[in-house]
Amino acid sequence: MALLEVKNLTVEFGSEDRPFRAVDNVSYSVDRGEVLGIVGESGSGKSVSSLAVMGLIDFPGRVTADSLTFDGQDLLTMSPGKRRAITGKDIGMIFQDPMSALNPCFTVEAQIMEALKVHEGGSKKERRERTLDLLNQVGIPDPKSRMTAYPHQLSGGMSQRIVIAMAIACNPRLLIADEPTTALDVTIQAQIIDLLLKLQDDSDMALILITHDLALVSEAADRIQVMYAGQLFESGPADSIFAAPRHPYTQALLEALPERSEGHDRLRTIPGVVPGQYDRPAGCLLAPRCRYANDRCVVERPDVGAYNGRDVRCFYPLDDHGQPTGQTTGETV
Amino acid sequence: MSFLDTKPGVPLLESDDLVRHYEVSRGLGKPSAMVKALDGVSFTLEAKKTLAVVGESGCGKSTLGRQLTLIEKPSAGGLKINGEAVGDLSDKEAKLFRRTVQMIFQNPYGSLNPRKKVGQILGEPVLLNMDLGRKEREERVRETMAKVGLRPEFYGRYPHMFSGGQRQRIAIARALILEPKVIVADEPVSALDVSVQAQVLNLMMDLQEEMNVAYVFISHDLSVVRHIADDIMVMYLGRVAEKGPTEEIFAKPLHPYTRALLASAPKIDPAHRVKAEPLKGELPSPINPPSGCAFHKRCPFATDHCAQVRPELRMYEGREVACHRVEEIA
Amino acid sequence: MTNQNTQSTTPETAAAEVVAVEDQKINPPSPFMETWNYFRKNRGAYVGLIVICFILFMAAFAQWIAPFDPIAQDRTAFLKPPIWMEGADPRYILGTDAVGRDILSRLIHGAQLSVTIGVFVVIISMIAGIVLGLVAGYFRGWIEVGIMRMMDTMLALPSLIMAMAIVAILGPGLENAMLAIAIVQLPHYVRLSRASVVSELNKEYVIASQIAGAGHIRQMFVNILPNCMAPLIVQGTLGISSAILDAAALGFLGLGAQPPLPEWGTMLAEAREFVGSAWWVITFPGLCILVTVLAFNLMGDGLRDALDPKMKR
Repeated sequence: MALLEVKNLTVEFGSEDRPFRAVDNVSYSVDRGEVLGIVGESGSGKSVSSLAVMGLIDFPGRVTADSLTFDGQDLLTMSPGKRRAITGKDIGMIFQDPMSALNPCFTVEAQIMEALKVHEGGSKKERRERTLDLLNQVGIPDPKSRMTAYPHQLSGGMSQRIVIAMAIACNPRLLIADEPTTALDVTIQAQIIDLLLKLQDDSDMALILITHDLALVSEAADRIQVMYAGQLFESGPADSIFAAPRHPYTQALLEALPERSEGHDRLRTIPGVVPGQYDRPAGCLLAPRCRYANDRCVVERPDVGAYNGRDVRCFYPLDDHGQPTGQTTGETV
Repeated sequence: MSFLDTKPGVPLLESDDLVRHYEVSRGLGKPSAMVKALDGVSFTLEAKKTLAVVGESGCGKSTLGRQLTLIEKPSAGGLKINGEAVGDLSDKEAKLFRRTVQMIFQNPYGSLNPRKKVGQILGEPVLLNMDLGRKEREERVRETMAKVGLRPEFYGRYPHMFSGGQRQRIAIARALILEPKVIVADEPVSALDVSVQAQVLNLMMDLQEEMNVAYVFISHDLSVVRHIADDIMVMYLGRVAEKGPTEEIFAKPLHPYTRALLASAPKIDPAHRVKAEPLKGELPSPINPPSGCAFHKRCPFATDHCAQVRPELRMYEGREVACHRVEEIA
Repeated sequence: MTNQNTQSTTPETAAAEVVAVEDQKINPPSPFMETWNYFRKNRGAYVGLIVICFILFMAAFAQWIAPFDPIAQDRTAFLKPPIWMEGADPRYILGTDAVGRDILSRLIHGAQLSVTIGVFVVIISMIAGIVLGLVAGYFRGWIEVGIMRMMDTMLALPSLIMAMAIVAILGPGLENAMLAIAIVQLPHYVRLSRASVVSELNKEYVIASQIAGAGHIRQMFVNILPNCMAPLIVQGTLGISSAILDAAALGFLGLGAQPPLPEWGTMLAEAREFVGSAWWVITFPGLCILVTVLAFNLMGDGLRDALDPKMKR
């Protein structure tokens, strides 16, 4: 039984008659001790889907799902209070901008102790000791003196460590990190990712790492899922998904990376842009940008299907040579 | 004085010991501190070449961009374009200067005036710096739009109707419209998605070939830099750590900081990954930088000598490196 | 999380709808239409707008709508009550005042005065305020200190007392009252435009224009100002209502419009002695002020919500 199981999660915004689907029938699961990487460009719905899991989508957004279970408990049917208790204690979350995730009016100590008070209780002394412990755990040098610091006195990397300390304060079983290093420098990014992986490993926690950086997930995650315009396009194990992509989008995304274009004069590009609210294609969402798209892709929307141990949303998943399979030009299969 | 005339044997852009200090007030009663955002940076840039300026935030790379485009005046040091010193410019000289050096910004959402149409945004530099009639101006704008791959019907549209990549095209068109010799690009693709980033990089390279423009490409992303740059200048805390041809630096980084940067950047291909201890600690505060080598507190090779004496840039294996121990490390 | 179970459509039909919607080529709405759509959703603001349109209509066509001349006195009908009361004169719908003038006609003509006052005051103080605020925010340094401290000093005085002092110097009368109110309102526009300019000043598009060679005047008025207008428009709308209120207060104190001008505040002052005996003389002008001010405030709030990008979803 997976720790978190999401089946056909859909998040819509806008009016009822003309909704905008930020997340479109996305399913995934994370096991204890596993690192799931969710990767996608902006507008792919990668952040919205995790916010929906946390129950953080507010009124204009509509969340539907066939099932949404955490450790066997159904998050959809339980009362909001109980759900908050679970999401607050057992699921931790880290956001992109550490500076705005901390309240500038309170000291580091006060903010971590507040999180402990709500979910763990205990005397003030115990909580203070636990706070010191946490700061040590996230690798903050000289934690005693940092306890009384205000967020503006800390660097971006330090702030992100504090945010992580707050997220793991209640020993969560799942940690969702939404672009945790995008606002940070490369050397600090390496430190923070190392820290997250170490914490995850030490406590057998599940970690969902959401990012736009393909290289970062490929190094950090066990399993990866690639999202595009709200849909799941491909998912599979990290070591093989980028070595042999099955979805044309994954393939094209990899080719667009400068790292893959060494020695080439020009980078390979994906023409066009990610469809927005007003220009979603009727068929496959990638069809206007896909180099293999045919008539069928333009009119019909593919479902997610299993292919070679992967889940792929494509009529013609790619073979080992990167060529589409089962495609006969212009014909509807 | 003419910035526009190229002279044989004279580099297009020459920066000589450029310094920029900021005064920072530290509250009532305390003396204000001096931040050395840029502390003696020299380089030359030839026509049609790309120099990448690489470093973490706070290393002074954006400050350098601001000095090169005269948004701010350097505190000390000289800037020469085609051998002509850029000092106090008269209006006429300033116009010439603007036709020589232009800039592209990082954030395509902030760098385009939201209340102006594309045509007006692109027309502004022409209106202010060239004597052209209304008709000719529009023609020039449309020509430049075509060059960067913007459709003619975008002329009357507002920036909010475009995606990030298209906005960056507009920004590039604005920088190009005066046909400058040098474009300072401050993180031009770091706000863009991977697929769009590749489009913009290709466009920049195509335009370089077509218009013979030289780029000062400011970036924190080494993989992007590797693709576009001829030379790389790695900066740390306002000073140059290492400078040399791109391929050489990637093949064999000499400065410990360059090595750390290369090792920290995640790679898709397991074969490319460099197994190394991540760099300890963070960038020190530029208000009171460490004594000696600014990097010594994070450097795995640091000795007492590094903590006391600041290393100067010196030639080593055809590259400039600021490290006392480069012979031993290399 | 409240409505995840209330969604009644099955996934299939929902998907079909989505596809149907996507088939049409939908263009993003223009900024004006977007603002208008947000504005329309705010019911209070919409009602406010309708009321304001009605008042503007009355003000524009007062000569033709009003049944009587606002200053013509009917010596046969002093203090006649409104028509639904006993002893009313059917010609005077809202009754007459102490000298036999038709209250309805006076109110309609009063709308003309009030709207003029509101609009002129706001235009004068907005133009002056924007120029001062732009200069202060753009140049910073001692210019800013000078301008802003002066505005702070003005704000330190109670606004009505300051307006009275200015009118006392200039002499009572509608024009001087308008000028006084404009001066009193000035600091709000200065502070607001300075704050917006300061926040716009560091945006990259301003620096980009600077690199393109734009001079100070062009930067201030062509590039920066249009981006600062949203909060100023809101403040202007709210300013109209406070100008009307201040003008009424000055009129009530005998420092604003002078009798027999049918200004609402002046009408209140004239009717003071009949509060007990003839309630209608004082109630209707008061109601007019209330409704007009409320309408402008509602519309201002709605505009703020519609123009502020932070409130948008």
